[in-house]
Amino acid sequence: MASLSLKGIQKIYPNGFHAVQDFNLEIEDKEFIIFVGPSGCGKSTTLRMVAGLEDISGGTFTIDGKVMNDVEPKDRDIAMVFQNYALYPHMTVYDNMAFGLKLRKVPKDEIDKKVREAARILDLDKLLDRKPKALSGGQRQRVAMGRAIVRNPKVFLMDEPLSNLDAKLRVQMRIEISKIHESLGATIIYVTHDQTEAMTLGTRIVVMKDGIVQQVDTPQNLYNTPCNLFVAGFIGSPQMNFLDAVVNIAGNDVTLKVGDYVLKVPESKKQALIKGNYNGKTVVLGIRPEDVHDSEEFIAANPDSVVKSTVKVYELLGAEVYLYFDVAGTQMTARVSSRTPLRTGDQAVFALEMERIHLFDKETELTITN
Amino acid sequence: MEYSTQLCSALNELKRITGIKLEVTANDPQEEERALAQIRCLCTAYKEKYNKNHFLKTLMTGNISSIEAAEHAGRLHIDPEERRILFLLEKKGSLDDMVMEILKNLFPSQTKSYLIPMSDCSLAILRPVKANESEHDLSQIAHMIVDTLNMEALTQVRVAYSAVMEHLTELGTAWQETSLALKVGKLFYSEQNVFPHDRLGIGRLVYRLPIPICEGFLKEVFGDNIPDTLDEETSATINRFLQNNLNIAETSRQLHMHRNTLIYRLDQVEKRTGLDLRKFEDAMTFRIASLVMNYLQTERNT
Repeated sequence: MASLSLKGIQKIYPNGFHAVQDFNLEIEDKEFIIFVGPSGCGKSTTLRMVAGLEDISGGTFTIDGKVMNDVEPKDRDIAMVFQNYALYPHMTVYDNMAFGLKLRKVPKDEIDKKVREAARILDLDKLLDRKPKALSGGQRQRVAMGRAIVRNPKVFLMDEPLSNLDAKLRVQMRIEISKIHESLGATIIYVTHDQTEAMTLGTRIVVMKDGIVQQVDTPQNLYNTPCNLFVAGFIGSPQMNFLDAVVNIAGNDVTLKVGDYVLKVPESKKQALIKGNYNGKTVVLGIRPEDVHDSEEFIAANPDSVVKSTVKVYELLGAEVYLYFDVAGTQMTARVSSRTPLRTGDQAVFALEMERIHLFDKETELTITN
Repeated sequence: MEYSTQLCSALNELKRITGIKLEVTANDPQEEERALAQIRCLCTAYKEKYNKNHFLKTLMTGNISSIEAAEHAGRLHIDPEERRILFLLEKKGSLDDMVMEILKNLFPSQTKSYLIPMSDCSLAILRPVKANESEHDLSQIAHMIVDTLNMEALTQVRVAYSAVMEHLTELGTAWQETSLALKVGKLFYSEQNVFPHDRLGIGRLVYRLPIPICEGFLKEVFGDNIPDTLDEETSATINRFLQNNLNIAETSRQLHMHRNTLIYRLDQVEKRTGLDLRKFEDAMTFRIASLVMNYLQTERNT
């Protein structure tokens, strides 16, 4: 398999559209890298540059130390699985998987060996004689993957391969892809706009916005220590709550004023605000829904972080409940136990877990402290 | 008489195509050579006459009366009243066997689809439209063509597609629509790979403008100082600023520059062009002017 290096990669189209800007990333052998971001953020364009399907406007791209900028896609030893795959309708699963190799004039016995091996990995052994019409959506997707696997490439590139599947199948296929990654030990670059897919599949995630890399990190680090407001809002579902807060520094006491509420900043977060000279300034307070509590014990233990509101929506998801309410004119979500007595229309008291808050500079949107 | 192998195969070919069995009497090798040439011409002429692709290509690019077209279609067993769509595909580099094989298998002839090579690097796909297929489905097919060729042939392609035709005689119009879509798309929307005939926006408008009007417009906007090329940094800054809906804070953040640096650069652009890009009216003028410049530059290069 392979290690990849992207240094200062740029993509400017002839019409002036700047799709990707100064993209830097080192991908190690066998890594499962995810490019994630909203549509139009440049993630697919970057993948297509890696594939050789788009010219690279600037920067250097290497595979195993060999510069690939001007190397033809067929000579890059890659295989792709894209969103709008099609299976050849009149061919069996076996022939669909073998077709690419036949076109490349690979010897018959070698094709047979590769197809059967890929079928075994993908659990398609018993379906090799079937035509696409007789397959389920997930099975078809596995055949599409099989066509890539039989090539035995150095790198797999996948561009939203699951987005045409329904939610249940997507979850199943996510597990399948994870298994394939483990059994092949392959280097995979995977593009998605779905942050759940990104969090569950990737060893590292590249979060992009407007053609610019925002943060590259492990799923856990992205969730716990986002580098800016965008990453904090993009990663996590339901998304992080954001509230405007005015900082008040009085000696060693630091508080945040959110509407009529004054919240005491814990020791671990104080220094960043003091050093950054934020006294009197408005910052953005971020808190994940699971860090907003409704239990009486927590509220009693944290009287300096209490807000009150009316529950606007009660959403039961089985083991947990999402409660939607407003604080200082901003909608917030709390993710609480399904044992909560609160229901729509109830007056509620919530306490924020201040050790878990994130603070962002309102102007630069960069993280002040996590 | 004993025929040469070449003459024999030419006669067999003629019989296969037309059903006509000819006998040749030649007194010397020169006469036989002449006969062979004439039979080959006959084969070619019949092939053209009875070749579906040749007929469809003529229908797209040539002038055939609707009566003649219907008659010819009937002879070739092409239903003129079947609803169809035309996809026009252009490959970077010439069409190779691999691309053709993939497309033949994606659109097998049993489905009454036709693959018609139009040039060295372009190919038209005429496909029937099923009753339950929506506009979204047709767009998906165009994307599927691009993605499949990307994945299987590892090659870069662009695809334009027409409106749904109710009758085969609309093929000429469909061909014009898709050709235009491909040209306009490549020029103005180069970041895309699929161009529907009816989503060409302002690009279509600019493309239809006569060159003197374009030149006159640029002169009106920039005077005698038409900025042939802005330096890369300035272009990138302007494009990012326009992409961000003239938002200085967001643009400076994305470009990792102080807002004052951005303001300085925009001032410089104003000095050079007379357009203050912070104003919507001027930004719009600049955007259209840059589309026109892009168009003129391409026209000059071709």
